[in-house]
Amino acid sequence: MRPVPFALASLALSSSFVLAEDLNKLSQDPKQWVMAARDYANTRFSPLDEINVSNVGRMQVAWEFSTGIARGQEAAPLVVDGVMYVISPFPNKVFALDATTGELKWSYTPATDRGAQGEACCDVVSRGVAYDNGRIFLVTLDNHVVALDAKTGDEQWHTQTGDINLGETTTMAPLAVKGKVFVGVSGGELGVRGRITALDESSGKIAYVAYGTGPDQDVRIGADFKPFYDFMKGKDLGVSTWPPDAWKIGGATMWGWFSYDPELNLLYYGTGNPGPWNANQRPGDNLWSSADFARNPDDGMAKWAYQFNPHDLWDHDEINENVLVDLDIGGKTRKVLIHPGRNGYMYVIDRATGEVLSADAYDTVNAYLGVNLKTGRIIPNEELTPELDRNVLNVCPASPGAKDWQPSAWSPRTKLLYVPHQHICMNFKASDVGYIAGTPFVGATVDMFAGPGGYRGEFMAWDPVQRKKIWSIQEKLPVWSGALVTAGDVVFYGTMDRWFKAADAKTGKVLWQFRAGSGFIGQPVAYEGNDGQEYVAILSGVGGWPGVVANYEVDARVRNAALGFAGATQDLPWSTNGGAELIVFRVPKETAQRSPHDTQGRAPVPARAAPPPNPPGGPSPQPGR
Amino acid sequence: MKTPLRSAALTALLFACSALAQQPSPPAGEMKEPTQRMGAPMQPGAAPGAGEVREPAILAPFERSALAAASAYPILRVPVSPIHPGNVFISPNITNPLQEDPQAVARGMTNFIHFNCVGCHAPNGGGGMGPSLSNRVTIYGASDGQLFLSIYQGRPNGMPAWGGVLPETVIWELVAYVRRIMHGTENTFGRTTSASPQQPNIQQVPAEFLQTSNPWAFTEAFTAGKAPSGR
Repeated sequence: MRPVPFALASLALSSSFVLAEDLNKLSQDPKQWVMAARDYANTRFSPLDEINVSNVGRMQVAWEFSTGIARGQEAAPLVVDGVMYVISPFPNKVFALDATTGELKWSYTPATDRGAQGEACCDVVSRGVAYDNGRIFLVTLDNHVVALDAKTGDEQWHTQTGDINLGETTTMAPLAVKGKVFVGVSGGELGVRGRITALDESSGKIAYVAYGTGPDQDVRIGADFKPFYDFMKGKDLGVSTWPPDAWKIGGATMWGWFSYDPELNLLYYGTGNPGPWNANQRPGDNLWSSADFARNPDDGMAKWAYQFNPHDLWDHDEINENVLVDLDIGGKTRKVLIHPGRNGYMYVIDRATGEVLSADAYDTVNAYLGVNLKTGRIIPNEELTPELDRNVLNVCPASPGAKDWQPSAWSPRTKLLYVPHQHICMNFKASDVGYIAGTPFVGATVDMFAGPGGYRGEFMAWDPVQRKKIWSIQEKLPVWSGALVTAGDVVFYGTMDRWFKAADAKTGKVLWQFRAGSGFIGQPVAYEGNDGQEYVAILSGVGGWPGVVANYEVDARVRNAALGFAGATQDLPWSTNGGAELIVFRVPKETAQRSPHDTQGRAPVPARAAPPPNPPGGPSPQPGR
Repeated sequence: MKTPLRSAALTALLFACSALAQQPSPPAGEMKEPTQRMGAPMQPGAAPGAGEVREPAILAPFERSALAAASAYPILRVPVSPIHPGNVFISPNITNPLQEDPQAVARGMTNFIHFNCVGCHAPNGGGGMGPSLSNRVTIYGASDGQLFLSIYQGRPNGMPAWGGVLPETVIWELVAYVRRIMHGTENTFGRTTSASPQQPNIQQVPAEFLQTSNPWAFTEAFTAGKAPSGR
């Protein structure tokens, strides 16, 4: 039909394919951790097995480094060819360290606008940097994408992709795919019009922008767009499923995770909540908020979409990760994505077509009555409809959902998904709100609290084929850290009350735990140092939406503070304060003497890494409760 | 060098300061018009009040105009910093012309919601995106004048500058409301946090149950992450 563009597109595709192969290949190297989720499939599975179920109990601190900013540390450290790259919360300093010794090689301080701190809804976090082709890519809270020479830290280009005066900030970890670096934008609580931006890796020039609301042209929906379900078929639904002009301030931001399937050449991500939270102001399905997109990364054109929560009532973003795996379902191997939904359902979706194969509740859910697999539509519980000024009591899951940004991990060995998540419910009262650019556009009074059973977090292993929970560890507080699983069949996560834990991936038995200076909301990673040893690294430093009550001036006695999360974590200051510590662990070799970087008079750590004071008998209940 | 600097600069400041002390606070009822300035702008030629204040001897033209401007808007002389070089306290005694008028406080609560202050500072000022306003701890000062300026000018770590948008009366109503919700029950210098014994041991009745401009009058036992009792 359009021969010329087609030829150009295929040319571009073949010339940049080499780059994609390189990063994809690099990500398969067991020594490396080259993107936040480790690989394009977002598995967070490390093939290293030197640290395993038999020796993880002897794991000790190898070295530490402070980012110097005691706000929420959500970032994943990257490790490329023996060098670790880590980003701090605002102002988003980047540090390059020798991944074996902790020697600081360079640091980079961007001139991030301080005003951005007042536009970020949920702490001033960053979820990590991206790497490709000798460059580190960071995004600052005030929306500047910057490319650095990975060797020297020298700035190569910078491009602004958002405006803090419109309430736009950026907190997600960018991803490099086929010569482009992809970023999203945050601000679903500030009437931001969500989008992703693709920038040319070498020049920083914006290749295209794909919006989350608005006309098909802006959303990059064209003839190739084939959503599986009827309710997403039609022209300009990103306009017609909103009251007039409401799509311009309607959210559908992107502050979570990209994943990429090189074979299908599809880039996947989920979009955020529609704005405002008060759903009475936006009758309609509010497309394309709370939805997954599959796009061709070359031109951004959408292949399919699936809206998890049409006309979202509860701030149920669906920016959560999409983990790309092949599963044997009904005797057939299916290329699927697993999406642990914020709405409390575990989705298994055909990633070529967008067909939902299963959707099962994995936590307490009363906000919905299930997912109709014929129509693809979730079924809201009409008894809980949040009409204007009605105080709806005990809605589960609460606004942060059964799971928020905190990424899960997939082991190809156990075929289980390891999911850190929360277990909280809420009272919710919708009220009218006016749009003032650069200010919150919420319209809801929210008050969260522990779900049934009194615990507030859980770390679980889920079998997506059997569609059930295999084991779980209940935690006192929301589990807001990411997960890591290794070929040593050890799974790692951290708790907000300062424990970093290693559990048996098959049984959930906690094998080791370490008490750090501050609570954990970071992403654990594993890599091999230049000395041939396996290391595990994570940032300690509580914060994020549930953690501002402990790292910022938030009053624990006012339950509606922090958009209502203060109610559920109001006792967090009893166990932690803010922090900024990168901690790197290893299992010392049996014969090893003190290593060169452990000669500062510090005893070789066994005291700090002693076995759990109260060795857990089984997966649940849990120490630290 | 020291003496001329002192006499010129400090005399000028004292001049404005003492003149401001003469500003009458208009009764709340007369503040309906949003266009009205807080207090009456001081006329440059107005007589100084205190005996020791003298007209500065020598002022360059630039200093004269700056002085005139600052005199016309004495609130601009309210310092954000608590430190005063030479230990000379120069802050004019700016008070909220609405004082603690309950209707102004109630309108302040409505403004707090309508202008989306509530989105950042949370219902009852618990804080979140912005710092809490529910206790006596402030970053930029808790006096009427300092609160007015923090709203009017904004603050660089993310507080928007509302002076271009909101009439001054609306800002004074916000000041009246914020002063009210800041007023907690504690009378200690600092605050202790501990799990056992539980501190804090109270929480406000949450806003989904009760909307009030005096939230510290309605408290219940601290529930440590569990559901509130709500009444």
